[in-house]
Amino acid sequence: MTKFLACLLALLGAGGAARAAVDPGAAVIPRMEYEPLAPGSYRLERIQGTPDARLLDTRGRTVHLRDFVRGKITLLTFFYTYCVDPLGCPYSHAVLRQLREALERDPALMRRTRFVSVSFDPGNDTPAAIARYAKLWRGDARFEWRFLTAPGVPQLLPLLDDMGQDVSVDKDAQGRPTRTLHHMLKMFLIDETGTVREIYTLAFLQPTVMLNDIRTLALESAAAAGVAAARPRM
Amino acid sequence: MGRSKLIRGRADRAAGFTIGYAIRRAAGYALGRATICAMGCAVGVAALLSLPAASAFADETCNSPYISKLIKGQEGYVHVWTLGVEGLGDGSDKLVTVDVDPHSKSYGKVVGSVSVGGRGEAHHMGFTDDRRYLWAGNLDDSKIYVFDVGTHPGKPALIKTITDFAPGSGLVGPHTFYALPGRMLIGALSNTRDNGGVTGIALYNNKGALIRKYDIPRSKLGGVVGDGYGYDLAVNPAKNVLLSSSFTGRDNYMRDLGEVVKDPQAMKRFGNTMVVWNLKSFQPTQVLNVPGAPLEIRWNLVPGQNWAVTATALTSKIWLVRQDAAGTWSAKDVATIGDPAKIPLPVDISISADGKGLWVNTFMDGTTHYFDLSDPEHPKQTYEKKTGSQVNMVSQSWDGKRVYITSSLLAHWDKKGADNEQYLRAFNWDGHELAPAFQIDFLAAKLGRPHHMKFTAGT
Repeated sequence: MTKFLACLLALLGAGGAARAAVDPGAAVIPRMEYEPLAPGSYRLERIQGTPDARLLDTRGRTVHLRDFVRGKITLLTFFYTYCVDPLGCPYSHAVLRQLREALERDPALMRRTRFVSVSFDPGNDTPAAIARYAKLWRGDARFEWRFLTAPGVPQLLPLLDDMGQDVSVDKDAQGRPTRTLHHMLKMFLIDETGTVREIYTLAFLQPTVMLNDIRTLALESAAAAGVAAARPRM
Repeated sequence: MGRSKLIRGRADRAAGFTIGYAIRRAAGYALGRATICAMGCAVGVAALLSLPAASAFADETCNSPYISKLIKGQEGYVHVWTLGVEGLGDGSDKLVTVDVDPHSKSYGKVVGSVSVGGRGEAHHMGFTDDRRYLWAGNLDDSKIYVFDVGTHPGKPALIKTITDFAPGSGLVGPHTFYALPGRMLIGALSNTRDNGGVTGIALYNNKGALIRKYDIPRSKLGGVVGDGYGYDLAVNPAKNVLLSSSFTGRDNYMRDLGEVVKDPQAMKRFGNTMVVWNLKSFQPTQVLNVPGAPLEIRWNLVPGQNWAVTATALTSKIWLVRQDAAGTWSAKDVATIGDPAKIPLPVDISISADGKGLWVNTFMDGTTHYFDLSDPEHPKQTYEKKTGSQVNMVSQSWDGKRVYITSSLLAHWDKKGADNEQYLRAFNWDGHELAPAFQIDFLAAKLGRPHHMKFTAGT
């Protein structure tokens, strides 16, 4: 476990109480009490496609999501820069950072993998804001980790709806909106063709399993390429 | 119709979101300062409130453990999936919504009723992972209805009907709806080939498309031969385990109960197994011998516990499913419910949030039982109350202070004549006595036979 994630988890005791004030839900640090299956020994189902969306990168340039969910194995997640829920965006990005460090030890797999983080809040999370946020997480420049935001909420909502990603504004005990966006922590594993093959919510956010899933997709892709290569040319 | 409602909902939401964020920035939220503009905030609050609120306050303990917004406290509404009765009201299956907030003017009253335009043996329901939608299934015509309960929990809307479950999956009787992230697991009771009890599990995505069907095993696994029967599903994510249980096929559940019990051959066609699955691979790893139709499965997910219980309908037992130090799962008969010789027919169960208590309803004698599960190897009944002439489903609030029961088992299995009470009854539970809070007579209200219940928060 990285030093950063260890520190984050160490903070969760205090964070749990803070979370209870906002959302006294059942969220707990995910437990893993089993041996994960070996890569390639199981099948990841084809859950759904990935829609396109017009977004902005950290330099404010217009980009299309479709260009970042194909050609590589992609982990897509949603966040907002001022999220302070210790089991929300900071936790998911700490898991991604841990995964990135594992991928850096396997350069061939690293080149086949990317992360994409899309902001929930186009109003606050401008390209400049997500650029600052990205510096906290990106690390090795050779690894492709895209931080994106939307030009506006109307461009974002169809993407959220299509991906089944909920978001709402939390209210306090008096029913007043708070500065917290309630969202189910979801991370989408997308294969090289743009098909969602796994969805991780908090209970399933296990870096070891996620790495095995990435390797499973890589093996599947290699096997498909091998079959294609072995096929006689007409 | 459903589609247009969806689109309109999105548009409204988009407008609210945009305005909400614009105003929020004006109010200084974005800068993280308490720079308050009274007028801006007033408008901002109004606009923000047009967003779907995350102010859920309650849940029962029987949902998927990773459903969003599992929150403790007072539930706002109970949604009751209700079987239509010919000649009663519109005769249609319907989702009935009851206000259960004691502070509400409409407490204990029906505030919503969405008929689906037909009768198909309405039975069980399950939330999607984000808790915005409720999937409700029919055991006879195998239709699945998707209700939006997130936009206006007090006024659910039917937004989608899945009509090709049977031809698409080869399965009949979609029973259990259990959320996985972005997906819905559907445990079925029967099959299209012979309407018997050999069945499977269907995996759908949240858009309503079938991804794959998995057969309940009939081979020998872990020394026990599977019977291929299915009923409930329940997941323990920390163990990467899915459990399934077993009941009977359409040829039995759509037949009069009196005829079934008199038919020795029919009585042989009930499930006697549970199956342990590797959740990741969706491969069965063990078949467990649990005779007498093990029905509902409830996990105790408290760290360090990781056991599950079920109740067997025909043998009237509580069974404990537990993993040993070597990682092998086993099932053990740990308690008797009522007098098995009288076939009290345990039906629904509800485990407390701390895993230390279990409500059990026995249909035939109309009794609600409470078992102390502090020692799961030796559950002890500490309370019972006759709650109706027939009683089926039981759901408790997360804090355990409120208990709701309904009366209907299956249209052809419910009692006849004066014993055919059809009701939703709510009780307050102080740890010693179930005190009646309110009840709704579903026959007098011309609603039908109330079955499964799910909670949503107030608004």
